[in-house]
Amino acid sequence: MTSAPRGAARGTSQRDLEEDADELVHLYGLEDDDELGDEFADETMPRIEVSEYPAAEQRDWRLSGEAAEAEDLGFGGWGSEGQCQDLREAYRYAHGRASEEYECYVIPEEEDEEEAPDVFCATCKLPLRALEKVLEEHKGHEVTPLSKALESAKDEIHKNMCRLEKQIIEMENFACHLEEVFITVEENFGRQEQNFESHYNEILETLAQKYEEKILALGEKKKEKLEALYGQLVSCGENLDTCKELMETVEEICHEEKVDFIKDAVAMADRLRKFLETKTDVELAAQPALEDQTLDFSDVEQLLGSINTIPAPSAPVINPQAPSSATGSSVRVCWSLFSDDTVESYQLSYRPVRDGSPGTDHTESTVTVKETYCSVANLEPNTQYEFRVTAQNRAGLSPASERAVYMTAPSPPVIKSKEVRSCEEAALIRWESGNLNPVDSYTVELTQAEAPGAAGVTESVVGVPTCEALVQLQPRQSYAIYVRALNVGGPSARSEPATVHTTGSYFRLDEQTCHPWLAISEDGLTAVRSERKAPTREPPPRSTRFSRCVAVMGNLIPVRGRHYWEVEVDERSDYTVGVASEDVPKQEDLGANRLSWCMRHTWAAPRHKYEFLHNKTTPDIRITVPPKKIGILLDYENSTLSFFNVDISQHLYTFSCQLPQFVHPCLSLEKPGRLKIHNGIPVPKHVALY
Amino acid sequence: MALKQISSNKCFGGLQKVFEHDSVELNCKMKFAIYLPPKAETGKCPALYWLSGLTCTEQNFISKSGYHQAASEHGLVVIAPDTSPRGCNIKGEDESWDFGTGAGFYVDATEHPWKTNYRMYSYVTEELPQLINANFPVDPQRMSIFGHSMGGHGALICALKNPGKYKSVSAFAPICNPVLCPWGKKAFSGYLGTDQSKWKAYDATHLVKSFPGSQLDILIDQGKDDQFLSDGQLLPDNFIAACAEKKTPVVFRLQEGYDHSYYFIATFITDHIRHHAKYLNA
Repeated sequence: MTSAPRGAARGTSQRDLEEDADELVHLYGLEDDDELGDEFADETMPRIEVSEYPAAEQRDWRLSGEAAEAEDLGFGGWGSEGQCQDLREAYRYAHGRASEEYECYVIPEEEDEEEAPDVFCATCKLPLRALEKVLEEHKGHEVTPLSKALESAKDEIHKNMCRLEKQIIEMENFACHLEEVFITVEENFGRQEQNFESHYNEILETLAQKYEEKILALGEKKKEKLEALYGQLVSCGENLDTCKELMETVEEICHEEKVDFIKDAVAMADRLRKFLETKTDVELAAQPALEDQTLDFSDVEQLLGSINTIPAPSAPVINPQAPSSATGSSVRVCWSLFSDDTVESYQLSYRPVRDGSPGTDHTESTVTVKETYCSVANLEPNTQYEFRVTAQNRAGLSPASERAVYMTAPSPPVIKSKEVRSCEEAALIRWESGNLNPVDSYTVELTQAEAPGAAGVTESVVGVPTCEALVQLQPRQSYAIYVRALNVGGPSARSEPATVHTTGSYFRLDEQTCHPWLAISEDGLTAVRSERKAPTREPPPRSTRFSRCVAVMGNLIPVRGRHYWEVEVDERSDYTVGVASEDVPKQEDLGANRLSWCMRHTWAAPRHKYEFLHNKTTPDIRITVPPKKIGILLDYENSTLSFFNVDISQHLYTFSCQLPQFVHPCLSLEKPGRLKIHNGIPVPKHVALY
Repeated sequence: MALKQISSNKCFGGLQKVFEHDSVELNCKMKFAIYLPPKAETGKCPALYWLSGLTCTEQNFISKSGYHQAASEHGLVVIAPDTSPRGCNIKGEDESWDFGTGAGFYVDATEHPWKTNYRMYSYVTEELPQLINANFPVDPQRMSIFGHSMGGHGALICALKNPGKYKSVSAFAPICNPVLCPWGKKAFSGYLGTDQSKWKAYDATHLVKSFPGSQLDILIDQGKDDQFLSDGQLLPDNFIAACAEKKTPVVFRLQEGYDHSYYFIATFITDHIRHHAKYLNA
């Protein structure tokens, strides 16, 4: 009915309450009246859910109190509505406005809402009503609004909870650690035990051995002596026998006749004489005492002594090279000891790895260190070195570890800054490896050189296989571009940067394509044809050089976008400017074939003649103001090549040209003169229309 | 003055309209065509005036040249007036196709009976722009002019006689040196009398010699197979030489295989509109 299962953490007061309620219900037979029972249940249920606060205790006794009163109302059962009503009201009153649900941290309201406390006296640590503050007790005390006090109390509790949590974690970690230490102690004990046992056994064996030896020796000695003595005894016996025999013989002789007696007596006398002359050795052949033998216990002593000494260490294990732990001149070698040996120092030996003959003239260097790592410096870049390490303590040296090969990082590459080409969307960078031997790959790094000192984002292009990279860039920015070489040892230091401005297109004239009569300036932007016809030296003709037309080509970045540049020209000179593809026939004039498009100016005083040549054809165009600076717009997307008079923003002519291949700027001087290229110019507005 | 709309057709997002009005300069009713690009709905646009050649009305250009797409893209209002006053009932006005009706030559006539009505120069340079500025969303500060043949002559002289008024000028097969060609001689003697000094005031080749600025950028297209070129009516060389002398920027393109017709105009009209847009939208 009303006693639905409740949560476990309610406390005994709760049980009592429930039981009381149930008792009462049963007592007054309320289950007969469902409606009433429900109402009553509703009244009681929320109250019963109140769990934590002393207020519940108060209700407890009140309930019992009321119950007592209710009991007095009369036992005779329950039946009349009126009585039922009274009881209900009695309960309702007794329990106040308690029909709301309570949450954990909310302080339940007091009986009289109008007079509920709304401030908190910090001094007395009591909740009060604001009015009470002005009373004597709390005059001059610090008072805060109740809600604020609630907040700060909550905060305090919360903070302490956090600290508790932290402590839990700490203790758990420490417990784990202790477990590990436990295990280590066990291990160490095991090792020591083993060690001692083996030592001890050795000693015992040695002692046993000594005992055996000693006893054996003694036995030998005894045997010797006894044999000697026995020998003596035997010879004594023989002697005695001989004596007895002689005696008997002499006695016999004495009983003989005089003649025989004399014969025998003389012989006997000789015999006797001889016999008695032989010395009888009555010295003991062997002394009874067995000499004391000094036992050599020195090796046992040594063994006993070595129980307390530590053994020489076992071989360390050298680690493989950690990635990117090397620099161009150093490597960081690490190793570890897989036993509990005491080690005083390590000796690290190394020498460079050379291909081919495992020669004997490798100078091996050795370093002594105390740690299990060593940064070895003064090495050659991009070189492999072989390392091995031995551990050392008082007892001696361990065996050497396996050999490990470490490699130093490469030297930084050198960017060919004169060959950098760029446009608004990309740059083409070329560099020299900077290393004699090959490296694994290169990394190109770019940062926008916007705010000096600001930590800009560095973009990296990794795994560049050759000494060239085309990188995508944002227009109208400045970039610093670096290159690193990479091998197993790690990356090299950064190269010197190349600066790229992505405003307009940048290119230089290519000396390789230059006709011998043209001189290109240092910055690769000016071509000069001097008065002299024959140059001082005539280099051999090459397929890359223009041979007939006194021309030169530039190296434009191979990006299919829009490229704009300007050429400063001499009004009085004969020149040609335009574009051509890389494989334009170098023995032909510019514009004489399908691989070149150009504007040609011929000055035949007073007339200026202008031609726009492609495949030997030109439209008929007259221009009244000779341009001093020609703007050239190459537009791959629209397949057009346009020429402009920069100074008066005048459009001169546009080629529609199919450009399946990449083309490069080209220019030639039909008469002595000078042409200068201006780069890095953003497409002017008037040009952009074309 | 009141404008009466004669027609309106949507074209490339804009509107090609034809209006009629009473012209004060010409003392008659005059029609003109005007194209309003889509941009004109939301703001003022620059104005580009087209002057047609002999025998044309306001209709030839708007029907045959195919200029609408470029005008729409570049956001230009294009105005094409008629080539002469109409229905004035002057004796002899319809006798030849190259003098009188349809052959105003963009001069202000000084000779009787033409001087009352044949004031096309003032109409094109004064009355019409004022009318357009007052009634249409155009920017009065940005104006350019171009034309074909007699209209090319008209465009050149209007620009050369009014430095700074037009941002740019271009022409298709213009009559560059009327004082020396048969057409010019006939028209000028009729409209201006025999005093050749008065003729020079309407001759581009002469005008350029005294043109104060070199600010104009002139684009001229000329069909190589144009019979009038070979007839010596157009004489572009003279003009070019004069411009080269005065350092007036001209790009003159002799187009192989093209003649004097609107097919030639239609081929290169986009280049001309772009040429003007460069200056009008700058």
